[in-house]
Amino acid sequence: MNDTVHDPSALPATLPGFAPRFARDSVALAALAMLALLILAAIFAPWIAPQNPYDLAQLDLMDSKLAPGAAGADGRHFLLGTDEQGRDIFSAILYGMRTSLIAGSVSTVLALIIGLFFGLCAAWFRGWVDAIIMRVADLQLSFPSILIALVLLAALGQGLDKIIFALVAVQWAYYARTARAAGMAEREKDYLSAAIALGLKTPRIIFRHLLPNCLPPLMVVATVQIAAAISLEATLSFLGLGLPITEPSLGLLIANGYAHLLSGKYWISFFPGLTLLVLIVCINLVADRLRDLFDPRRTDTGSN
Amino acid sequence: MMKFNIRLWICVATLLANAAMAGDLRIGMSADITSMDPHAVNITPNNNIGWHVFDALVHVDADARIAPGLAQSWRAVDDTTWEFKLRRNVKFHDGSPFTADDVLFSMDRAEKLPNGQYASFVQRLTDRRAVDPYTVRVKTATPYAMVPYDLNSIFIVSKKAAANASPEDFNNGKAMIGTGPFRFTRFARGDRVELAKNPTYWGGAPAWDKVIFRIIPNDPARIAALLSGDIDAIEAIPTPDLARIRADKRFRLAQKVSWRTIFFHMDQWRDVSPFVTDRSGKPLPKNPLKDVNVRLAISKAINRQAIVERLMENAAIPASNLVSPPVFGHVAAIKPEANDPEAAKQLLARAGYPDGFALTLHAPNNRYVNDDQIAQSVAQMLTRVGISTKVETMPINVYLPKARNGDFSFSMLGWGSFSGDLALRALLATPNADKGYGAWNWSRYANPAMDKLLDQGFATVDEKKREGIAREAAAIALKDQAVIPIHHQIAVWAMKANINYVARTDEYTFAHHMK
Repeated sequence: MNDTVHDPSALPATLPGFAPRFARDSVALAALAMLALLILAAIFAPWIAPQNPYDLAQLDLMDSKLAPGAAGADGRHFLLGTDEQGRDIFSAILYGMRTSLIAGSVSTVLALIIGLFFGLCAAWFRGWVDAIIMRVADLQLSFPSILIALVLLAALGQGLDKIIFALVAVQWAYYARTARAAGMAEREKDYLSAAIALGLKTPRIIFRHLLPNCLPPLMVVATVQIAAAISLEATLSFLGLGLPITEPSLGLLIANGYAHLLSGKYWISFFPGLTLLVLIVCINLVADRLRDLFDPRRTDTGSN
Repeated sequence: MMKFNIRLWICVATLLANAAMAGDLRIGMSADITSMDPHAVNITPNNNIGWHVFDALVHVDADARIAPGLAQSWRAVDDTTWEFKLRRNVKFHDGSPFTADDVLFSMDRAEKLPNGQYASFVQRLTDRRAVDPYTVRVKTATPYAMVPYDLNSIFIVSKKAAANASPEDFNNGKAMIGTGPFRFTRFARGDRVELAKNPTYWGGAPAWDKVIFRIIPNDPARIAALLSGDIDAIEAIPTPDLARIRADKRFRLAQKVSWRTIFFHMDQWRDVSPFVTDRSGKPLPKNPLKDVNVRLAISKAINRQAIVERLMENAAIPASNLVSPPVFGHVAAIKPEANDPEAAKQLLARAGYPDGFALTLHAPNNRYVNDDQIAQSVAQMLTRVGISTKVETMPINVYLPKARNGDFSFSMLGWGSFSGDLALRALLATPNADKGYGAWNWSRYANPAMDKLLDQGFATVDEKKREGIAREAAAIALKDQAVIPIHHQIAVWAMKANINYVARTDEYTFAHHMK
């Protein structure tokens, strides 16, 4: 007996035909290409970057605050200039982007898993399980996420793992809410009644039947949230919490350069800021397009 | 007629506006002012206000040398007795005369105020009495040469106004009656302090009718306020903006080598130090920082000139001593260690670390000028000679308790002192709470020969002799490389071009010295 009961209307866009439909929007396509380029640059940073900006032995204070294109003490040129410590800004951006992408994606995946689990449990069991989970989520969502993250990091100390923990802690509630809403709607559908009637065990129903059908809205939330997570990480680093100063991420690079803006040394802040902007805009454009495609109320004609 | 009237009014208004402008001085301060009570919280921003409204028996001049204040003169009657002759015809802001009673009252208040942080400056004075209304005598249990220095920290309040006054009475102005160059007008916490001229100040009436200290801790905001003309002068110019202000004809800079020295303490007491390992992270059989050759190698590895030029934008001078050159007890014969990475590597090899070792350096990130940047630069220089160095920085309020607790192996501290021997007493004397020795000796450096010289110096009333002893003691510690001095900060003020300020070694911002 085939015990997976599929709702044919679910997962409308994961099938062949999705890619061409996505590509019909040229802006989204360009954003996706740019995003891919940035991700590749981040992945291959150790091979592309002329300097390892996290290795103090490779930095020379005598190269500090050089303008873009200027030559350093050993005759090497710095494409985007250097920061106070003589750190090559171009290399620092590549490495910083790695940190941003890792923090953004890992925290999003973890938060998605946790949020999905609690959200579906709430939707399935209802009653007091629902009440407790959703009140905790409400409580958490009533505080600004930056505030919660600040408090957590102040208590936990520095490090990428701690940043990811803080990002997960402030984000899981979004997924829990979305998953619950989607789960509530699905629960009333016939295929689930059928699954119950077949006598399947609860975990199996939740994870094999309910979960796949709740995923599309969550994927859209997740894409938007990656951008939010990246900018939150940058904000935390900008405020000096988060990563050690010898391993600057984009936010910390911007913060370091901030003090030099008035004196005209724009490049320390400007280029990392520009990178962060492009990264977040690209992710948001891709996320927008995904939302359009996943939205059943919108008929995609390729013209929007 | 109508027209004439309007012109007249414009004329009058303009004149009035100009008059108000000429008499007002607005100063941007870099750190928060937490209390008006001059005997409560002993931090520079509070004392800075204290020096405007109040006075002390002993002043400190722009070079951090003691000078007469409310006491016209003083002398040691014998080894344990000091006599202060008070200035006559000095009046408090409420018109009442200043006498020895006010001095004794202020000493008592400083000693007894609950949670007051000035008690240590009077606790050694076992007997305090007024010989006549203008003569005060104090006694110490043992010979103690630092009495005039200590009394520089005791602000004299009016006995009449401050009897039974709480810190709140000072904050709301009720008890803010002093003999200083300015009267207190208003304190808005976290925002500003407003003062008005005291025309009968004994040191001459100040040039300003009204002074407003605005609290602007954010560096770019403080600079922006000056550039926009919102305020007339600021203290603590962030180093990245020095060049810009220097080039701007509308402004003038005043600068002077400050008494604040930035240096590193090194764990010299534990056989296994928590943040020192071999290069692979395994513990070492012994603590390399206990070896004088290793400490010398560290000193040679550091390029002080590069830090001064590149990070501090020349708002610092390389340091060899714990106190800067103008300060009492500076040893001019000891020069800043020259940067020599090769010699540093050889010294490390000879000390038994041919491959170097690893350490984590700790520093605050919001206390001293460019503190976290200095930490990173020192780390890169140490790494280059083989001491693989990590950096951890944290806010000062997290940092200090940990450092005091001995949690660190290699840690930054900035210190300002009136004199070399006072700096040694706090920073490098063998810790001894009863004697007040070594309260900040995070290195736990212990050298009985130096301690003995300090004892001897503090019991020597003759200033010349005392300075000789202080230099001898400093030389012992410096030759031991007990700490790694980096630089002495240069304090910088910026102001509109028509204002002049005599820059001070002690970093105070005095409105009455602006003209």
